[in-house]
Amino acid sequence: MVRNPVKDQVAIVGIGCTGFSRHDTRTPLALGLEAATKAIRDAGLTAKDIDGVVALGEPGAPGPQQFASALGVDTVTHWTRPAPVVMFSLVDAVNAIYAGSADTILVVSSMIRLPWNSRSAANDPFRRRIPSGVPGVPESVAMATGYTAWASRYLHEYGVTRDAWARIAVNGRTNALRNPLAAIDKPLTLDDYYEARMIRDPLCMLDMDLPADGADAFVLTTAERAKALPHPPVLVHATATGMVGENTEDQLVSLQHHGQHVVVEQLRAKGDFWIDEVDVFLPYDGFTIITTGWIENTGYCAPGTAGEFLRQHWVEDENRVMIDGRVPINPHGGGLSEGATRGTGHIREAVTQLRGEAGERQVEGARTALVTPGGFFFNSQGALLRVAD
Amino acid sequence: MTDTLTDAELVERLAHLPVDRDTAEHYRGYLRRELVLNRCADCGRWHQPMRPMCPSCWSWNVVPTPVSGRGTVHLFIALHQGPPADGVDYTKEPYPVVTVELEEQEALRFTSTIVDCALDGIHIGMPVELAWIERSGAPFPVFRPTAEGSGAANREGR
Repeated sequence: MVRNPVKDQVAIVGIGCTGFSRHDTRTPLALGLEAATKAIRDAGLTAKDIDGVVALGEPGAPGPQQFASALGVDTVTHWTRPAPVVMFSLVDAVNAIYAGSADTILVVSSMIRLPWNSRSAANDPFRRRIPSGVPGVPESVAMATGYTAWASRYLHEYGVTRDAWARIAVNGRTNALRNPLAAIDKPLTLDDYYEARMIRDPLCMLDMDLPADGADAFVLTTAERAKALPHPPVLVHATATGMVGENTEDQLVSLQHHGQHVVVEQLRAKGDFWIDEVDVFLPYDGFTIITTGWIENTGYCAPGTAGEFLRQHWVEDENRVMIDGRVPINPHGGGLSEGATRGTGHIREAVTQLRGEAGERQVEGARTALVTPGGFFFNSQGALLRVAD
Repeated sequence: MTDTLTDAELVERLAHLPVDRDTAEHYRGYLRRELVLNRCADCGRWHQPMRPMCPSCWSWNVVPTPVSGRGTVHLFIALHQGPPADGVDYTKEPYPVVTVELEEQEALRFTSTIVDCALDGIHIGMPVELAWIERSGAPFPVFRPTAEGSGAANREGR
């Protein structure tokens, strides 16, 4: 029996973003403060309205205490530093507001290029000092490498090619060209994808999200209080963070049962709408294999058929996907081309679209969004968002 | 001889590996050229990675036990770049990493590299067996094709 008492009770009322770039040399604190002040102003509020601070626990990123202090917040009654990938933070904020731990919570996340994923960052005398997050031995599929390992299994089990991943990469890039916040503004073709440098075969440079500098912040409050604030409130309709017990990368039992399946089952049971009524679809793309997993596991197509699905819904003259000519996938460009955000970009784009503020990439009449941050080992997550009727 | 190594000596000898209290017997096995994984003495289930309690029955009676090292390749990647390690040169050719499903139990897997096999001869589903190489002055477990698994098999799905 699935319960969802918090359904539509908490709203995202403010968003702020620095934009993402590959040459910003600011600290995570500076980036986070720009995003946070923008989000609080966007919500029509000031520092004294904030009584909760949730800061994503990205390595090297400041904690909630540093943000509260640097923003001049008066009193904080709820603060946490959840693990990276955005939904751990949003779910915490939503539940805390519903439970009465705080009324108005700032969620903030900074990302920077690190010395081990960016040559330019390795040449920065300050960033060079940040410790490595890379596993110690080559003979391991732990962490990021695990996605490549299961990508090999995906090709094997379904007898398909890398075409689906190529289309995910190209779709993201095409969409990013219409997003002024994106780090990359150079178009990409399918041929470019196949010529890109292999990093861990079968995944190449363009299958991985793009290390970039930037920050996102969100302000959440009760749906009741949101009515008096400047923007149309974006209601948090349902959320899930899921995993299976056997989630160690090389021990995952199969591609047919992992965290994504748990999340989808939860969202479907908790929400009043699903993909046929979804206007904007924002699946995570830390690796392209994650995106094809979300497309299949949410039910847009059968397991192993994402490539066929993307070809069917490919708009040749636009060089991107429009599901049934109506629903774009990651209209902001995703982590692959806007910049790696741990999913904050996906949430921000959902809010932007649902407010009708997405400019030339606006999905006409968007009322609902499905956002599925995270991969499939231990950070699969999802949210159904909608605007109030 | 190696079984008499103190914990301090073990950690020093295998400084290149993440040895801790829970994984010490696994790594101590390297020095005897045995691949040792934890098996529950109460329910008989193997589990990976090394953990002090059986996830199936919550027994703490888990016994580090050698496996045969025979199995089939379940996941296969080729690193064009990666962490530095003794004997690994990514500039010469991509370095293969395989996750092998061991014959002892369904979905019981161990990840290492594969030797005595050309890169384009490695494919998911191929039978392999345990072999040992030297890494930083100590034995290190790897896989190699079994007699029937070697040869000109295609690398699938590319």
